[in-house]
Amino acid sequence: MIGPGSGGLETPPAKLEAEVQRIGRELAGNFPSPARHPLRSLDQKAMQLTAQDAQLAAALFRLVDVTPACRSVDDLSSHLIAYLDQVPERPPSIDAAMRLAGSAPGRKALGSATAAGVRHMAHRFIVGESPGDALRTLTGLWRQGIASSVDLLGEATVTTDEADRYAARCDEALETLSEAAPQWPRREWLERDSVGAVPRVNLSVKVTALTPLMRPQAPDVGREDAAARLRPLLRRARDLGAHLHVDMESVDSLETTAELVLGLLAEPEFAEGPSAGVVLQAYLRDSPAQLERMLEWSRSTARAAPLVVRLVKGAYWDHEVVEARQHGWSPPVFEDKGDCDRNFEQLTRRLLDARPLVRVNVASHNLRSVAHAIAYNRLGGGGDGDLELQVLRGLGDELAEALRADQLRVRAYCPVGDLVAGMAYLVRRLLENTANDSFLRAHHGGVPVEELLAEP
Amino acid sequence: MSFRNEPTLELRRADLRDGLVAELTALDRRLPLAIPVLIGGERGAESGLESADPGDPARTVAVAGRAGAAEAAAAVEAAAGGLAEWSRRSGGERAAALSAAAETLRGRRGELAALQVRECAKPWPEADADVCEAIDFLEYYALGAAALEHPPGLEQAPGERNEMRYDPHGVAAVIAPWNFPLAIPAGMTAAALAAGNSVILKPAEQSPGSSLALVEALHGAGVPPAALSLLPGEGDVGAALVRDPRVNLIAFTGSGAVGLEIVRAAAETPPGQAHVKRVIAEMGGKNCVIVDSDADLDDAVPAIVDSAFGYAGQKCSAASRVLVHEAIAETLVERLAGATDALIVGQAEGFATDVPPLIEAEARDRVDGYREQAARSGRIATASRELPGEGWFSPPTVATALPADSEALREEIFGPLLCVEQVASTEEALAIVDSLPYALTAGLFSRDPKTIAAVAEAVPAGNLYVNRSTTGAMVGRQPFGGNRLSGIGFQAGGPDYLLQFTRARVVSENTMRHGLETDRGT
Repeated sequence: MIGPGSGGLETPPAKLEAEVQRIGRELAGNFPSPARHPLRSLDQKAMQLTAQDAQLAAALFRLVDVTPACRSVDDLSSHLIAYLDQVPERPPSIDAAMRLAGSAPGRKALGSATAAGVRHMAHRFIVGESPGDALRTLTGLWRQGIASSVDLLGEATVTTDEADRYAARCDEALETLSEAAPQWPRREWLERDSVGAVPRVNLSVKVTALTPLMRPQAPDVGREDAAARLRPLLRRARDLGAHLHVDMESVDSLETTAELVLGLLAEPEFAEGPSAGVVLQAYLRDSPAQLERMLEWSRSTARAAPLVVRLVKGAYWDHEVVEARQHGWSPPVFEDKGDCDRNFEQLTRRLLDARPLVRVNVASHNLRSVAHAIAYNRLGGGGDGDLELQVLRGLGDELAEALRADQLRVRAYCPVGDLVAGMAYLVRRLLENTANDSFLRAHHGGVPVEELLAEP
Repeated sequence: MSFRNEPTLELRRADLRDGLVAELTALDRRLPLAIPVLIGGERGAESGLESADPGDPARTVAVAGRAGAAEAAAAVEAAAGGLAEWSRRSGGERAAALSAAAETLRGRRGELAALQVRECAKPWPEADADVCEAIDFLEYYALGAAALEHPPGLEQAPGERNEMRYDPHGVAAVIAPWNFPLAIPAGMTAAALAAGNSVILKPAEQSPGSSLALVEALHGAGVPPAALSLLPGEGDVGAALVRDPRVNLIAFTGSGAVGLEIVRAAAETPPGQAHVKRVIAEMGGKNCVIVDSDADLDDAVPAIVDSAFGYAGQKCSAASRVLVHEAIAETLVERLAGATDALIVGQAEGFATDVPPLIEAEARDRVDGYREQAARSGRIATASRELPGEGWFSPPTVATALPADSEALREEIFGPLLCVEQVASTEEALAIVDSLPYALTAGLFSRDPKTIAAVAEAVPAGNLYVNRSTTGAMVGRQPFGGNRLSGIGFQAGGPDYLLQFTRARVVSENTMRHGLETDRGT
């Protein structure tokens, strides 16, 4: 399964590798120095601390997770103490904080400080409580040369009303963003590739939020119910000239999501638009076959805007492995990081070779994966505008700046929503960041650039 | 060798779903199934008892023999005769037979799941899980049978040798329910056989087909015909077995009323009966889920809905009452009601079905009665809905604002009705839980380790589930069974269950002879 893509026949592996290394070093050199962002480096220190002590990290994740449900600062500090109490070897500073909780004023102070800390962290990842609220940040990013995709955070959809409300919020976001975007200054490399115009407004939606009927054993039911809400959104995006990207979540919703999106986009009313996209998760063993299916669909479906495929590693690894183990199934994901990284590069090549049948987004914080995509695209004759690189707001900011410095097309995935409902998202992002095999952790841990760029 | 749960089907895969549909089509061509009375290997009556598809009452799923008092007596006679042959076998040999039966069931998984879809209107994922659980019980108690050969060592003083051995009780009557039509009969039967007892299995009148499959698998695996009889029938045959003085042990799963009647009858020692009958009973519950103010409702709502309405609430582990902290009560009720309204009520064979029909008309009428009463004395939070035409459907319903003395809050409903009450604190919730005569399962949603520890300490339930659904206990992972009026005995699928099916004997031998120790033991 792992081997050179078909275009690899034209690009000698040694030449590609040399170019990957060259680009990787150049990007690493572009990373801003921590001194420019004192606050950000403070956050990173906190993340490093928790990464060193898994149990302390677990306590802090649980705290972040429960914060929205705490009724008072007293309640919050009580939860904090209960979690820290379960950490066997506490650093002295943590013990001191716990002693503070012995008195009512101390508890209050501790709870307030904790709430402020969690809020501060949340602000790093969540760009606004509403699309209107987020416009300032989104406009600022655009001016700097970074495009965005807005993701509306919210509680899980378990009722029909909640699905309707999420769809209404998506509709409103498309409208709000589309009103503002025309005032943004021209950024040629963000809004045009060799196929044509790339919409400024880009909204990512989640199918599990569009229906309470997601049933892994009955994909048709969720697909039909979600279609009733996604179809109007596609129309709206088409009429506004916005891009709509449908996120991929866990394997339980994969079939529903894939069939829903490809089915709707093939309908005649969407032949002229909107620009729309799907996600390919490289950690899935089945991802090469899924990509072939997307390409086959693209070949046989006449649409004005090519299907956009966002390649990601996938953010539900723990969930997939635990669920599979609990049921006695073989996990649908690669369990070895090297296998996953190699597959990511293989899929990157296959996607870039398939241009202009599809538009390619590579969403990764792994410097090696990003450099590989840029190098392969250039060696294959693609312009830099034909490859969109994506990062997560809050986690990939430095990479985004490094890419922007080279005028590469980069888009930040920007969660929008209230901090309360965004906590689940935040925790998942934090977990990903501090996972043992995390690239970002290695980078901040001072791993030399040669190692970071090593062939998987 | 270690135990590993039989993996359920990964039904998110379309090819596996297609396979099940084909199994159902094949089964439908064979209906109605003929289920004989099987005594000591002899096929008896094959008619007298009809069971129907709860989703299509006009379809007869099985025509079974209807055993009565005479058949009960004959089966006990056969079992008493077959006891020696079976109990003589070593634990290892008995284990091999149980494992071989598990292998047979493994080869018939799709077919047996299809049978549950028709026989009990059990939706596919749960029907498949039930077949897996039956296999698990057979394998788990097989390991236990082998382990009985090596009882725990006793203290040995110089000059004596002490040995412990576990013997079977003798003739075991197994009386099983329909709601886990293969797993529960398999669990009780396998445990009784593992310990060396001979068994008479009396299946529920609604689900004789699944039990026949179990008995065939065990016979095929080498359990002597006389050591395992099948008595399809109604309550009278069960009662006759319970009263028979030659029966030594009764393993029962079912309603509290019948369970307590069995306990009373088993206490009788008529002239000529030189033993007290051992009763192992798993009875009903009134299972509460406590939702504290710091619960994650995104997790709690789907888990509660699943616990309350999975298989239309026809599980003794099903959630029946929710005790929610007042700070989040309004939100929880709104989301629970909305999520319940979104459930799909339909035939068991539909992969999308969340709530199938109830087992029979009487069950439907009983549940409807509780719902109407709840509507009169409290508030129904869910919307009314259209029900499919055929079948014993009852709408999944969330009721709130019920008076404390409401029957819906006290009695086991065994159907898709969930009552939600508001409490001011976890302590108040615990007091309500403690006031109930049942103690089977309980649930808790909280993210505070202190609350979790306090509730785990205080709740009398046999199974407490924290931040997850209250159903779906797995053999070897969540040994299952209740306390108080919910049951007598150790939990099924756990390390202690098998011992109840044995009698312990200790042999202590003086190894000194004229001042010489003749045997230093091993």
